[in-house]
Amino acid sequence: MRVATDVGGTFTDLVYVKENGEVGFAKSSTTPPRFEEGVLNVLKESQISLEEIETFIHGTTVIINALTERKGVKTGLITTKGFRDVLEIARGNRPDLFNVRYQKPVPIVPRYLRKEVEERLNYKGEIVTQLDKEQLKEIITEFKNEELEAVAIAFLHSYRNPVHEKEAVEMVKELWPEVSITASYEMTKEWREYERTNTVVMNSYVKPIASSYINRLEEKLADKDVTAKKYIMQSNGGTTTFSLAKEAPINMVESGPVAGVFGSAILGEIIGEKNLIAFDVGGTTAKCSLIENGQVKITTDYHIERTEKWAGYPLKVPVVDIVEIGNGGGSIAWLDPAGSLRVGPHSAGAVPGPVAYGQGGEEPTITDANLITGRLSPKNFTYPVDLQKVKEVMEGKIANHFDLKVEEAALGIIRLANSNMLNALKLISVRKGYDPRDFTMVAFGGGGPLHATFLAKELGIRRVVIPVASAVFSAWGMLMTDLRQDFIKTYVKLLDGTNLDEMNIEWSHLEEQAIKQYVQEGMEETNIIFSKYADMRYVGQEHTVKVPIPNENWSPEMIQQIIASFHTLHEKTYTFQLPETQVEVVNLHLTAFGRVNKPEIKKIKETTEKHAPLKEIRNVFYEETGWVKTNVYSRNELAPGMKISGPSVIEDLMSSILLYPTQELEIDSYGNLLIYNRGMENAKYEN
Amino acid sequence: MQNTKIDPFTLEIVKDSLTAVGEEMFYTLGRTSMSPIIYEVLDYATGLTDAKGDLLTQGNGVAGFIGMLSFMVKETVKKFQDDLKPGDIIIINDSYNGGGSHLSDVGLVMPIFYEEELVAFSANKAHWTEVGGKDPGSFTNDATEIYQEGLQFPCVKLFEEGKLNQALVDIIQANVRLPELSLSDMWAQIASLRIGERRFLELCRKYGKETVLQTTKHLLDQGEIISRSIIQSLPNGDYYAEDYIDTDGLGNGPFQVQVKVTITDDNFVCDFRGSHPQVPGPINCSYTTLVSDVRTVFLAITNDDQHINDGVFRPLEIITDPGSIFSAERPAPMSVYWESGSMGGDLVWKALAPVIPSKLPAGHFLSVCAVTLSGNHPDTKNPFLIVEPSLGGWGAGNDQDGARGQFCIGDGETYNVPVEIAEARYGVMVDEYSLNADGEGAGEFIGGAGVIRSYQALTDGQFATVTFGRHKYVPWGFNEGKDGSPNQFYVMKKNGVVDGPYGVYARYPLNKGDVLKLVTGSGGGYGHPFARPITKVVEDVKNEYITVHQAKEVYGVVLDEGTYDLMGLSSARKEWEENIEKRI
Repeated sequence: MRVATDVGGTFTDLVYVKENGEVGFAKSSTTPPRFEEGVLNVLKESQISLEEIETFIHGTTVIINALTERKGVKTGLITTKGFRDVLEIARGNRPDLFNVRYQKPVPIVPRYLRKEVEERLNYKGEIVTQLDKEQLKEIITEFKNEELEAVAIAFLHSYRNPVHEKEAVEMVKELWPEVSITASYEMTKEWREYERTNTVVMNSYVKPIASSYINRLEEKLADKDVTAKKYIMQSNGGTTTFSLAKEAPINMVESGPVAGVFGSAILGEIIGEKNLIAFDVGGTTAKCSLIENGQVKITTDYHIERTEKWAGYPLKVPVVDIVEIGNGGGSIAWLDPAGSLRVGPHSAGAVPGPVAYGQGGEEPTITDANLITGRLSPKNFTYPVDLQKVKEVMEGKIANHFDLKVEEAALGIIRLANSNMLNALKLISVRKGYDPRDFTMVAFGGGGPLHATFLAKELGIRRVVIPVASAVFSAWGMLMTDLRQDFIKTYVKLLDGTNLDEMNIEWSHLEEQAIKQYVQEGMEETNIIFSKYADMRYVGQEHTVKVPIPNENWSPEMIQQIIASFHTLHEKTYTFQLPETQVEVVNLHLTAFGRVNKPEIKKIKETTEKHAPLKEIRNVFYEETGWVKTNVYSRNELAPGMKISGPSVIEDLMSSILLYPTQELEIDSYGNLLIYNRGMENAKYEN
Repeated sequence: MQNTKIDPFTLEIVKDSLTAVGEEMFYTLGRTSMSPIIYEVLDYATGLTDAKGDLLTQGNGVAGFIGMLSFMVKETVKKFQDDLKPGDIIIINDSYNGGGSHLSDVGLVMPIFYEEELVAFSANKAHWTEVGGKDPGSFTNDATEIYQEGLQFPCVKLFEEGKLNQALVDIIQANVRLPELSLSDMWAQIASLRIGERRFLELCRKYGKETVLQTTKHLLDQGEIISRSIIQSLPNGDYYAEDYIDTDGLGNGPFQVQVKVTITDDNFVCDFRGSHPQVPGPINCSYTTLVSDVRTVFLAITNDDQHINDGVFRPLEIITDPGSIFSAERPAPMSVYWESGSMGGDLVWKALAPVIPSKLPAGHFLSVCAVTLSGNHPDTKNPFLIVEPSLGGWGAGNDQDGARGQFCIGDGETYNVPVEIAEARYGVMVDEYSLNADGEGAGEFIGGAGVIRSYQALTDGQFATVTFGRHKYVPWGFNEGKDGSPNQFYVMKKNGVVDGPYGVYARYPLNKGDVLKLVTGSGGGYGHPFARPITKVVEDVKNEYITVHQAKEVYGVVLDEGTYDLMGLSSARKEWEENIEKRI
């Protein structure tokens, strides 16, 4: 049996799949700060027998929480002489252009714990000044006196040659074996010293915390006789072993959200669809990511806490490319000084939550708007809903201002939220040169299914899939992952006339590194699969395009082929190509998957009943037609073979789906809900 | 325009879509450019205006461009009137008429037609690395007339009804030093204009032309409402400031400048009359630049989190003498126009900081602190050209210390060039990139430190052109906070001789092993230094932002040299604290 547990902000989710393909879920409260308790609770809740677990996969917010709450350990930084302030100077940008009181991100390591040592390489990686070991010794002594728990090392040009960083690490380990130490080259081999320094600093800052969390979890599981192989979900959409996760915990920052995207890719494989848009709406945000030809997109241009108005902190680690906006179920609707309606990014959160929760919320939210328009049922909330109160708040705060009826105001909020979400979806599709009509949308999270139908209609998306486990879909995604490591190295070379042997040697170094790491972790070499990419650009440009590279040795013919696909991709992304301009490689990117065996998901028996049992008829307020008496169905009563036509609502305790008059819904043989727009070509697919 | 009632939410949705278009245009230009000045410094702006040239939405990289697009479009409308056709693209960089900044900033304007009616303009402006002129990189700090500063595009058609004016392109090709760069930037600009056109037309098709046009009107009106409501909350009165611009680059100066800001219930008037007339060197700016820089400060006061369009600026009035340093006339040189332009904005800032201390902190290092360094790469032997602004120190606010190492107000979403990239690309080694923690700008809240960036030349025959304003007249502190420190540079020659400090210098020669040490100043402080809590002073010392000596002399906090343990307070601080208590 494979089991995945996903620790979220409010709930800890569990999904399992048995050898016979049977899938089950459980949910339990998250238990900060002892998150491992919640994991044990949800295991108990699921009633699975623990000794049958063969593989245990875990996703957690422990790392991102420690970072955003600044609850890491006391950390020191050692840099090249003359560069200790790089971490504080950062990039000097001011995204909030007209704010003359802009405050830069505060460096994680204060100035007095940033020390400089004599050493220097040039840009070619050649040693200009030897590492001064005496100075290094003095620094270690000072750091000991400061009672640090972790040390980070970041030297210039170590992406090109880590020799001095390696020497320094060895010396620290020798003189001070107890301290947690990380060098920047171990985190990333890309250039840009500020980004690399911040990455290693943040990794050091949370490393002891990750270790103790993972150790505690391991002990608890051992106590319960869980002998499974244990893995942790990473931000790159793959898993890694507990021991590697303890070394590079920074790779776990986005483990939850990316699992949903990865799950979408896997679901696509099962239902035979390779081009997908993953769409996830939670309590405070909506997230989306585009999957092309089955491939989840990875970026290293990732920042924590970055907003339109704040620079945030860069982490040069591979993360699934996700666009996130501050519109979720709990997002608050408000009026700006000019009297315009705005939605988000402030959220009522879980406490007090929307007005509908009856927990003291006094600001109208998207959830309240969905309730007033009949898209959500008051019966599906945990606590009794005072609908009158919800309407009063909507009236007082929004409707009266525009001199509108309460349901019109509520619909306005929904339309605005949908418009914001639409812009996010366009950002990952139309604006990157993709036609949404070629894609299927996978909608999940509490609010994804409710908003997806409208958005799909607007974008001309052919199909929407609401996965069977839509409310715990991140955990479902984790269940289906393989091991994955990304190795990225800055290697700047013109493609014309490049030395093929050197290039192939660089690739084989990366491959050897990957194989070594996996074999150490007990993976058979035959189960290791490589994918290759090169980040490429026109000479003189800064920004790169990620080009898939065939998995074989480079030859002159292949170079021509790679250049051709670069031109095509560049045009797709940026609307033009420059056929006369030289092309260069900036980074080599090797993805190494460690394939693991996974049970096949079992199909559910088809019913002969073509009509779903009607739950109730309810008034629902639609954009075009106003109030419509709408059939409501219970999601739990649906079975493969049934069909439902819009207008209608399909709901359960966790989410609700709104079908428009032009839409139809089917249930596939896995229990996924498939929605398509009537009249659109190729709208159906065989399963 | 027909005034049909459109529901308020559709207006909001179209408004959001327009903002998204502005961002997409901006993104497209940045991602397709080949010039570091564009993709790293983001020295460009993109946007849409209505059919009259009023700005609807703008994608910004630098604050200094706010408002310049409208002037370009208005000049286009004035010149061509009914002679604009679908597919036309106009090119303009005329500093005095519509272009507004210096010749390096080349603007393109494209009329957008829907069903044969002119409905909007797509426009952008970008700093080309080369537009010809007397010096590599075109802009320089010792030009004496505009003809030395590069090619002038006086609002002419680059495309006529979709057909490229090849003759014009050939002229550009023949007159600039790096035609491939300049022309590729031109194409990046065209790609961005076309995205703007495409998206605007999509909106017209989806929501109807009337709805879109009514939204644009609504958008401008809303901007005005917000500005006026905030102006009403400001205390009415006349507020004054004066300051000096160090030099014009030719050895003349300093030049006195001044402003009177008058705030009434409805209006915000900045009167710069009486400031120095235009000067022989290239630090003059046009009226357009002055407007942009004052708008930036105006937005810092009025606009917390709002959509920016020309409606926002309706209550703002700016007056200056013709032919002044803030409103120069042909053929005054304008290369480093931002030096006077930023000073114009800073005067308004300085006049109002004591009135609105919650919005306006003390003065910052102000100057773009532009550095141009040219020479040959030691390995490739190819010529290289660094063109970059510098980071510096910002002023302290009434409840916060100043930012350390940040680009000046005229820049914005601008990024420094990473040392590792600079060393690979250019013929230099960076010896040091650190904070200039000189302890100046003292106060209850201290001014932020500037930075030190040292370039060691790796080949002979390099030349540095440095334009550091506020070298003599330093950033101002207020409410008993101290002034900051000057921007300056030194050359540390290989033979041990140190030359400097200098502020503005054209083509300083550097040979292999010489080090160009660039040092920017600290921002001004806020509040009396004795009011700074002891714990903060101890932390400042520990972090080496100030010395033990400064802690004692400036802050009145006496610390042990070795352990930084608190030894006591100076008698001056004690006396000051007692006086405060008495006053309370």
